[in-house]
Amino acid sequence: MCDTCGCGNPDEFKIHDHNHSHDHDHHGHHHDHDHDHHGHDHEHHHDHSTKKVISLNMDILSENNRLAERNRGWFEGKKVVALNMVSSPGSGKTTILEKTIGSLASTNKIFVIEGDQQTTRDADRIEKSGAPAIQINTGSGCHLDAKMIHLALKKLDVSDRSILFIENVGNLVCPAMFDLGEQKRVVVISTTEGDDKPMKYPYMFQTSNLCIINKTDLLPYVDFSVETAMNYARQLNPELEFILMSARSGEGMTEWFDWLARQLQDNQSE
Amino acid sequence: MHELSLAMEVISLAEKEAGKKNLTLISEILIEVGELSGVEADAFQWGLEMLAKESVLANAEIKINRIPGRGRCTSCNIGFEMKTRLGMCPECNGFPSVITAGEEFRVVSLLAE
Repeated sequence: MCDTCGCGNPDEFKIHDHNHSHDHDHHGHHHDHDHDHHGHDHEHHHDHSTKKVISLNMDILSENNRLAERNRGWFEGKKVVALNMVSSPGSGKTTILEKTIGSLASTNKIFVIEGDQQTTRDADRIEKSGAPAIQINTGSGCHLDAKMIHLALKKLDVSDRSILFIENVGNLVCPAMFDLGEQKRVVVISTTEGDDKPMKYPYMFQTSNLCIINKTDLLPYVDFSVETAMNYARQLNPELEFILMSARSGEGMTEWFDWLARQLQDNQSE
Repeated sequence: MHELSLAMEVISLAEKEAGKKNLTLISEILIEVGELSGVEADAFQWGLEMLAKESVLANAEIKINRIPGRGRCTSCNIGFEMKTRLGMCPECNGFPSVITAGEEFRVVSLLAE
């Protein structure tokens, strides 16, 4: 298997069901549209041989994309705002979620799917902060995929009109290719990383909608230039929005909550 | 490094196809990997060759066709080669470019009996 991250065994993942019962309505109108994503399919025989060319022209990620669309339809039907949170390890995603839940859980329904290679530590932290969470352990896998989310949704009783945070495995490379069915992708970088991170991991910044620059309280002590990071990221993705944040000190949290409120509003009006 | 799980997708795709069409032997699989697709073609090929041994692709020659990246500047409307996903327009040195080729990642065809 792959020595770097061991991504060769997709059936290795585990979903930890906390078996908590959460008392809220569950109107599970499940939108199961099975699209036929199979490409045009023609065979031509070669002369003097039984060999034939089977044209497929099939996207290798088509199965993941099909399941992602199914998840997306399910979220739309339930008016759930689903956000895919991606970053390097240690950028502060879980702390951002803890603080968000601490402030918003009394007025909003929030659910979390946690992705890590091992342990249920993050899901435990999230549940302590007051939101139902389910942990997916990807084992040696380096990213979440749409099938894992589909299975987790069967266990996490997500209510209508809620916010679902999907905290992806800390990794700026692999999760970029895998659509989970989210409405928005949020990339988090922190000031303890290099400000050239967007250039090094362009795919992730090109596919994200919002970039949170976290740990701004450390700016006086590090060489990180917010302007440089933002310029690089904008070159890659002119549409990218930014929030400067310190989950620790609270800077930028109001802006983040406003952004979340806008997502909920957009979702309701559609 | 997600190439190995992508290689497994290819095997499952080939197996489905073999089952549907009663293919007894697949002697070749042709795959396009764009240089801007986010897939490291060498790692992917290595993974696929390794996993193929135990699969319907055991006797298949794995052919990878690499598609070079190309982009178009949305200001100047000219096309140019893109080595990375951040392509600078050679005319205006700006970055408002769209990728026009190199994002492919697909199984083109199988040669089978």
